Amino acid sequence: MIRVAGLTKHYRTPKKAPGLLGSIKSLVRREYETVKAVEDVSFTIAPGERVGFLGPNGAGKTTTLKMLSGLLVPTAGEVEVLGHRPSDRLPGYLSRITLVMGQKQQLLWDLPARETFELNRALFGVARDEARRTVDELTELLELKALLDRPVRNLSLGERMKCELVAALLHRPEVLFLDEPTIGLDVRMQVVVRRFVEEWNRRTGATILLTSHYMADIAALCPRVIVISAGRLRFDGPLQDLVRRHGTDRRVVVAPVREPTPEELALADRFQRTDDGKLVATVPAADVKAAVDQALRALPIQDLAVEEPPLEDVIARLFAEQEPAA
Amino acid sequence: MSAPLGTLRHAAAAFPDLLRVSWADMVAYRAEIVIWFLTGTLPIIMMLVWDRVAEAGDIGRFDQPAFAAYFTATLACRQLTGSWVVWEINQLIRTGSLSPALLKPLNPLLFLSAESLAEKPLRAAILVPLVALLFLWRPDMPLPLSPVQLSLAVVAIGLGWLLNVAIQVCFGCLAFRLEQTMGLYMVWFGLWALLSGYLFPLELMPPVARAVVQVLPFRATLGIPVEVLTGALSGWDAVGGLGLQVAWVLAVGLLARLLWRRGVRRYEAYGA
Repeated sequence: MIRVAGLTKHYRTPKKAPGLLGSIKSLVRREYETVKAVEDVSFTIAPGERVGFLGPNGAGKTTTLKMLSGLLVPTAGEVEVLGHRPSDRLPGYLSRITLVMGQKQQLLWDLPARETFELNRALFGVARDEARRTVDELTELLELKALLDRPVRNLSLGERMKCELVAALLHRPEVLFLDEPTIGLDVRMQVVVRRFVEEWNRRTGATILLTSHYMADIAALCPRVIVISAGRLRFDGPLQDLVRRHGTDRRVVVAPVREPTPEELALADRFQRTDDGKLVATVPAADVKAAVDQALRALPIQDLAVEEPPLEDVIARLFAEQEPAA
Repeated sequence: MSAPLGTLRHAAAAFPDLLRVSWADMVAYRAEIVIWFLTGTLPIIMMLVWDRVAEAGDIGRFDQPAFAAYFTATLACRQLTGSWVVWEINQLIRTGSLSPALLKPLNPLLFLSAESLAEKPLRAAILVPLVALLFLWRPDMPLPLSPVQLSLAVVAIGLGWLLNVAIQVCFGCLAFRLEQTMGLYMVWFGLWALLSGYLFPLELMPPVARAVVQVLPFRATLGIPVEVLTGALSGWDAVGGLGLQVAWVLAVGLLARLLWRRGVRRYEAYGA
């Protein structure tokens, strides 16, 4: 379905010294510098999979998605999606995929979203009946029927994103590339988009590749994650494995029954106070028992819990560990 | 090869729908179109200027009614052959909106052309009362039109529009490489205003200059349609004018295609 081998993308960008002199120099003789956006990345994805791309800003996630969808031509390596070389951008390929970019919208700004759907219907050559059925199905799933006849400029960011999704899925693509689909949305709307993507995958069996800054998106949607950092593939596997491998710490969280005294706090030296009045100790898994013992001995406990660290922390650590290698 | 043929058939099938959506889009921006229309009304001012000049006596073969006819035709042809796709292309490339457009199975230029074409009915609708007023002002304006001449004029206007679109695609494609594309286009526009027949009939130029300007693309976008519409070019001369237009459409069209393809390839290489 999707096969990527040794995928590499280097950009050559002009290097310019600052100031007027620099501008004049670069006019006469340009110096270039090579940016290695993606370096020797390989993976395969089976039909119907939901895969999350994780990585810090500038890691190469979007560049990879753009090469997979056909917008960018790789410097080296091979990409094959649905039996096509994406960068040929043949109509037979484009009508089977879609790319949703959270930061770039394609809706016609001053017209109702319906008109964009109609435009896409024509561009993709979808029959009217079929398009109507798909729009009905999508608008019902996304609960946006009432919004279709309002000019797009009058919609909220979240409502616009829903309409973007309808426009992007009108031709029922088999592969969905979603680049930050929830960016800027409030928590409730993030959940709506997430549930929708999951349901659509279940209904249509479409393959989904998703990048997101919000770990919750990835955790809820993607059984498999691919971590890219500084252009290189760092991890490829189930999310639990990533957490297990890099998230060996545990958080021991105590909700005190009353304000602890300074003496009690001095005894419970592994614990630190959080803004919401709780006491938290982050310790290696092997030290959980010691930390719990200390809490039981020293603190006025109402509730005690041992948690896995938030995914954000795991990822942040993973990237921090790998920073020197880059 | 069946793929390009299939694409062509798909494009032909999609075009009416593109026109319809563009029409809806245009209606949403109708106030803006009226303002744009007004920017194209310079021929009316030129008409008044030349009318005054011709009071003292004919200039070349132009008396007052002939000037009125010339600039009425210029006004109409400018409105109907004009295109603004250079702004749209520039915008697409610079904002990155080209990316989603490139992932559609039809060339984005086709949609932009449909947009340009969709404005024409509205522009024609504004033209009708305006032209009627001008006729009331100078009822002695010569009306040359035989059905044959009128058909030739329609074709010449269509070719003028196509040539304008092709030229603007070329300038728009400069945005793949340069930042000051619109400045360059304005230089072209300045030359165009002088050399297309927009400000004065080209036949009033000195013979040598006229011989050169006659064959340049500027006249092919506007001067030729105006000359056919006013009857200054008729019969085989008119057909020759259309031939010159076709030649320019082909030449600039091929250049536009080359620049577009190269630009897109660069876009694919340097980040979309």
